[in-house]
Amino acid sequence: MKKTNPSFLNGVPELLVLGLLARREMYGYQIVEEIRARSGGALSFGEGCIYPYLHHLEGEKCVSSRRMEIDGRSRHYYKLTNRGQKRLEELNSEWKRVTDGVALLMGEQYA
Amino acid sequence: MRDPIEQLRGRLVELGCPLPRMQRMVREVEEHREDLMRSLVAEGMTTAEAEVRANVRLGNPQVLAENLMESLWQSSWCGRHRFIAFGLLPVLGFPLFWMAILVLNLSLAFALDFGWDQKKLSVAAENPVAFHHLTLVAYGADDLAIVLVALGFCLLASRAGIRRSWMVFVFFICTFYSLFIFTYVSPHHYTIGMNSHPQWIRGAIPLLIVGLTQTNRLWQVRRMHNPFTRVV
Repeated sequence: MKKTNPSFLNGVPELLVLGLLARREMYGYQIVEEIRARSGGALSFGEGCIYPYLHHLEGEKCVSSRRMEIDGRSRHYYKLTNRGQKRLEELNSEWKRVTDGVALLMGEQYA
Repeated sequence: MRDPIEQLRGRLVELGCPLPRMQRMVREVEEHREDLMRSLVAEGMTTAEAEVRANVRLGNPQVLAENLMESLWQSSWCGRHRFIAFGLLPVLGFPLFWMAILVLNLSLAFALDFGWDQKKLSVAAENPVAFHHLTLVAYGADDLAIVLVALGFCLLASRAGIRRSWMVFVFFICTFYSLFIFTYVSPHHYTIGMNSHPQWIRGAIPLLIVGLTQTNRLWQVRRMHNPFTRVV
């Protein structure tokens, strides 16, 4: 049965994390900083929250992780898997559908 | 006030987090805090101010530990269905697994000692010395089956990182069955069933297994807390 009331707001952090990891491999702190920088500070949250999300996505096999040493510092890097790519496409299309709907409803100023 | 990283570690231990997983979680959060402090110091804060700000930005360590454990539970079938895996499965599955392993053990012993020859077995049952040997093998196979089933449940519980209350329940069920399930060997007969008289020595097997695994876990946790042996 198709959901008529999608939990689109619950999927936003997932969409953001997967969207960033689609560009390159990153570690937790980098992801948080990138979200803050790219959203102009509009999106920020308890930074520790990123790890339960990443571990959840790893459990779902949407991302994979490995320990890597760069510039003398060893960190846990995350990268998108094929399943994660598919999930990202689903979330993207759902997000577009929602924002299009909001734009239609609210008029040009939200388009 | 206790260091938030220590609070996180302590809460993860309380929640039954598997140790390798805990090391990784704590290391990631610790590194995140280091990065955050470096950037705050670079912006002009003192180290003490940066540490306070970094701790605030990381969030409450207790809540973080609970969220991390929730993500761990959600990542495995046993973690998502704790009631089935650690409530129903031990109750319904213990006798079945025990019996399956017992049959396997006895078949193996039968194949090794008598080469699957029924006649050789019948002859051995008539001979007191050979029968004594048979009895030892049968009871040994029974005890081994209990050890393996209890160990299996214990490992499953440790890997899934379930709460201590579930662990106690699993242990209780394993002990209950070990106390009352029995096997009896007589010449040409082998009986298995439930007995109303508890067999205390067998009942101690799960206690021994849980005791050993928990002692090992405590020892490893203490090792992690010791700054001279800490790997994190």
